[in-house]
Amino acid sequence: MADADRSRSSTRVGLLVNPAAGRDVRRLTGGASVVDNYAKRRVAECVLEGLTLADPPLEVVAMPDRTGIARDAIETADESLATDILEMDLEGTAADTRTAATRFRETVDAAVVLGGDGTTRDVAAEIGPVPVVAVSTGTNNVVPAPVDGTLAGAAAALVASGAVPADEVTTRHGRVEAEVRSGTASGDGRRLTALASAELSSRSFVGTRGLLDPADLRGGVVSRAHPGDVGLPAVAGALVDSPLAGDDPGGVAVRLEEPSGADRLVRAVVAPGVLATVGIESWRRLEPGETATFDLADGVVGADGERELEATDATVELRPIEDGPRLVDPLQTLEIGARNGGFDVGTRASSGSE
Amino acid sequence: MADYDLESAEGRVEALRRMVLIRAFDEEAGDRFADGEIPGFVHLYIGEEAVGVGTCGALEPDDYIASTHRGHGHCIAKGLDPKYMMAELYGKSEGYCNGKGGSMHIADVDAGMLGANGIVGAGPPLATGAALSIDYQDRDQVAVGFLGDGAVAQGQVHEAINLASTWDLPAVFVVENNQYGEGTPVEKQHNVDNLSDTAGAYDIPGLTVDGMDVTAVAEAVSEARSRARAGEGPTLVEAETYRYRGHYEGDEEPYRDEEEIERWKDRDPIESFKDRLIDRGELTESEFEEMQAEAEAEIDAAIEYAQDADLPEPREAYDDMFAEMPPEIERFAGAARTDGGRPGGDRP
Amino acid sequence: MTAQVERELETETEELTVREAIRQALREELDRDEDVFLIGEDIGKFGGVLEVTGDLYEEFGEERVRDTPISEAGFTGAATGAAATGTRPVVELMFSDFSGVAMEQIMNQMAKMRYMFGGKAEMPLTVRTTEGGGMGAASQHSGTVHSWIAHFPGLKAVAPGTAAAAKGLTKAAIRSNDPVFVFENKMIYEQTGQVPTDEDFTVPIGEAAVEREGEDVTVVATQRLVGESLETAESIADDVDVEVIDTRSLYPLDTETIVESVRKTGRLIVADESPLSYGTHAEIVARVQEEAFFSLDAPIQRVGTPDTHMPFSPPLENEVLPDGDDVRAAIERIS
Repeated sequence: MADADRSRSSTRVGLLVNPAAGRDVRRLTGGASVVDNYAKRRVAECVLEGLTLADPPLEVVAMPDRTGIARDAIETADESLATDILEMDLEGTAADTRTAATRFRETVDAAVVLGGDGTTRDVAAEIGPVPVVAVSTGTNNVVPAPVDGTLAGAAAALVASGAVPADEVTTRHGRVEAEVRSGTASGDGRRLTALASAELSSRSFVGTRGLLDPADLRGGVVSRAHPGDVGLPAVAGALVDSPLAGDDPGGVAVRLEEPSGADRLVRAVVAPGVLATVGIESWRRLEPGETATFDLADGVVGADGERELEATDATVELRPIEDGPRLVDPLQTLEIGARNGGFDVGTRASSGSE
Repeated sequence: MADYDLESAEGRVEALRRMVLIRAFDEEAGDRFADGEIPGFVHLYIGEEAVGVGTCGALEPDDYIASTHRGHGHCIAKGLDPKYMMAELYGKSEGYCNGKGGSMHIADVDAGMLGANGIVGAGPPLATGAALSIDYQDRDQVAVGFLGDGAVAQGQVHEAINLASTWDLPAVFVVENNQYGEGTPVEKQHNVDNLSDTAGAYDIPGLTVDGMDVTAVAEAVSEARSRARAGEGPTLVEAETYRYRGHYEGDEEPYRDEEEIERWKDRDPIESFKDRLIDRGELTESEFEEMQAEAEAEIDAAIEYAQDADLPEPREAYDDMFAEMPPEIERFAGAARTDGGRPGGDRP
Repeated sequence: MTAQVERELETETEELTVREAIRQALREELDRDEDVFLIGEDIGKFGGVLEVTGDLYEEFGEERVRDTPISEAGFTGAATGAAATGTRPVVELMFSDFSGVAMEQIMNQMAKMRYMFGGKAEMPLTVRTTEGGGMGAASQHSGTVHSWIAHFPGLKAVAPGTAAAAKGLTKAAIRSNDPVFVFENKMIYEQTGQVPTDEDFTVPIGEAAVEREGEDVTVVATQRLVGESLETAESIADDVDVEVIDTRSLYPLDTETIVESVRKTGRLIVADESPLSYGTHAEIVARVQEEAFFSLDAPIQRVGTPDTHMPFSPPLENEVLPDGDDVRAAIERIS
């Protein structure tokens, strides 16, 4: 492309960095690693650097945060990038992520999300069909990829600019819907939607949210099952004949029981640093939308390893649903991008391959 | 076992009762201060009850806590008697400190309460020291250092956590992030967003929990206590909370608006926990009302006790400076001003 | 009680340097009471920068001779918390100038805790620290700050001038249930003296010692100036009969022994290395004029540092550092 044509394109990428950190009790009980906000800012800077791969240069619009992670990262961005920060009121909660995702849905060609399963889940709830490059910065993550930020940015650039067709490198990840169907007055009808797994815990309270003790886990439904996952998807992964990928239809329902009374025991990584022996009462594949019903006398319904809804004497309905986030495979994108010349720079007449 | 254990229904009701009692105490203390009955100044804990009660619920009775200037809640959570606390606020000789400490220095070392503290950030070194004693004498205890968000900026807090982590002492540091250091919002005091992220500097775990949820605080401190007892060293727990009242009573609060206060009140630690216990069938609305009435009655009785209690004798001002009184003070103790005169000197 | 009487009572003595006397005191107290531990910077394997703790680390191990990071506020505060919760820490603050770093915990916690809590906190804590100029250590490692501590309510302060006093006061400080600062002048660590070997020998806090009896002039001295005053007294013994008192304790101060001496001699020199204004000298002078004003035959003289910091270069340091010659000049002014 001739230099004269290096005008601004109308291609836009959304950048969402979830500042909420430090809230995972698995920092104490498991092997979860700590990613502080300075590290997140550095990852965001890498993403911005990767985004400069696009030619013509992109526009980047970022979610603001109270810490100024996005603002500080953008200050260091290459000047070829047109950068902007969404104007929005901040609550300092997950609502910020959902607000930003809603705005991205209408205005960006791809989004890079830095966070964990929870962040990706919140983004998925609002962002619709926009391709998402999910970069893992949280702990205990199943869905976001542990990919270098620069590569994630480069992949987003290729997808957003159309250098790599999104259809070739994205998959629609499943989700799991949970509904507390009965129980006490204030608990009835509450819902949540999980990304990889909705699980039941026998612990009474939301408390510090993370899984404290593998013995608390009572089962649940997963949208994916692979022994290489962490949490309930790993338990399911140890049971199924062949792994269930995030974009495979349906899910798996797993019911657990005390290992001492169980007919089948499996070992599974239920949290980072926790390889537990889990007693299997039963398990089965679920079709999309098929409900598995669990009784919960006293416990919590969780999403992706975090306790969310307290319930007593409740019936909880869990079902896999299909309209999850459209996730970009970063490495595949880069491969196809290279094949398509996405990394080529305009060559001098005398050089280049033969 | 702790006096109350949030793992049991009974313990949860007791935790709620203590939160209710703290609020009743501080509301009354605020009123009595406004009336001029309580001298000095008072810093009220209203809104932050879940932090003190959650923390102490995760402790054993002989564990230590080192408190802050906002210490009433820690005292009640630790099991101190509101009667003697109120007497102390009134400056009476029956108070915990015989009227020498007041609200800001209330203490009961025998009960493991190493004192409220008028110096921001001074508690953590004391907690580290208590943990050092525990470690040195191989006792089965832990020491908790409470500190506010403002104190995280203090040098001695850094030193205390560094020592405790370097020596793997059985300490737990609980940051009560009530969003303001006096009148300055937390984001204008610190470059980190989560104060628990500072734990990384000491190679210890740091965790931020919902300080409006007593179960979250208790769970985190309980894990931290287990780590401490297992010889794994200290943990930094940040509890995000909010003080409903000003920094001190009489603070005009130009630094925040009513809307913000209301937003936090929507998540009130007592209301929300009460609702959950009622949901769980562990409490009824009428039992809760009874609990509130009993707390108010207990505080009324504490006020009455404090009002009726004796003021200290002026000559008691000379007591307790030292284990062994030096002649420099003894000469005044023997000739208190109110007893008719000061000691003289050489006569021609 | 005079030092001589004490020595008669304590029949068995050995010759030790001040440094050895302090180390012996620490050793004996570590042996006697398991709750006692030492804590400070480089007091373990290093043996202390001025070699006072020496081999105690080898003898008692790292739990009881505990090295700290360079963190005076932290470990002084921790020692305060530890003292309130059942142990008996002995802190070494490497140089007294560093007490500024730890001052919050010293003045607001250590000194006040017992009082603020209505007597319901114990504070059996000893803080050893070094003072004094004379080795070219310059302003931040040569200060004499004991007036601050002696001034501050709730703290006791001792400052031995002899090996015997160094041992006896260190032991008394460790056994005391009050916070006691032991100010060690670093220039007399090599000074020798006869020291009682009895493990129960202590010097009660608040008792001065008459180190030399005399009829004409009283010199009340501290630390290094005790020895130098004694030498001066000997050198002019043919002309003036000088009584030399080692205050040993600064707070409480043994007013009685000093006043008794002044009543006898009518003349007083106060010799202390601290800066002259608003300090130890002034306190002793004030007490003597309160209690023995009508016994004075001459204006009281002060020998001290003339309100400068301790400079680095030897001629500068010599200029301001008080010594035996200053004591002699003061005696000559009023005899």
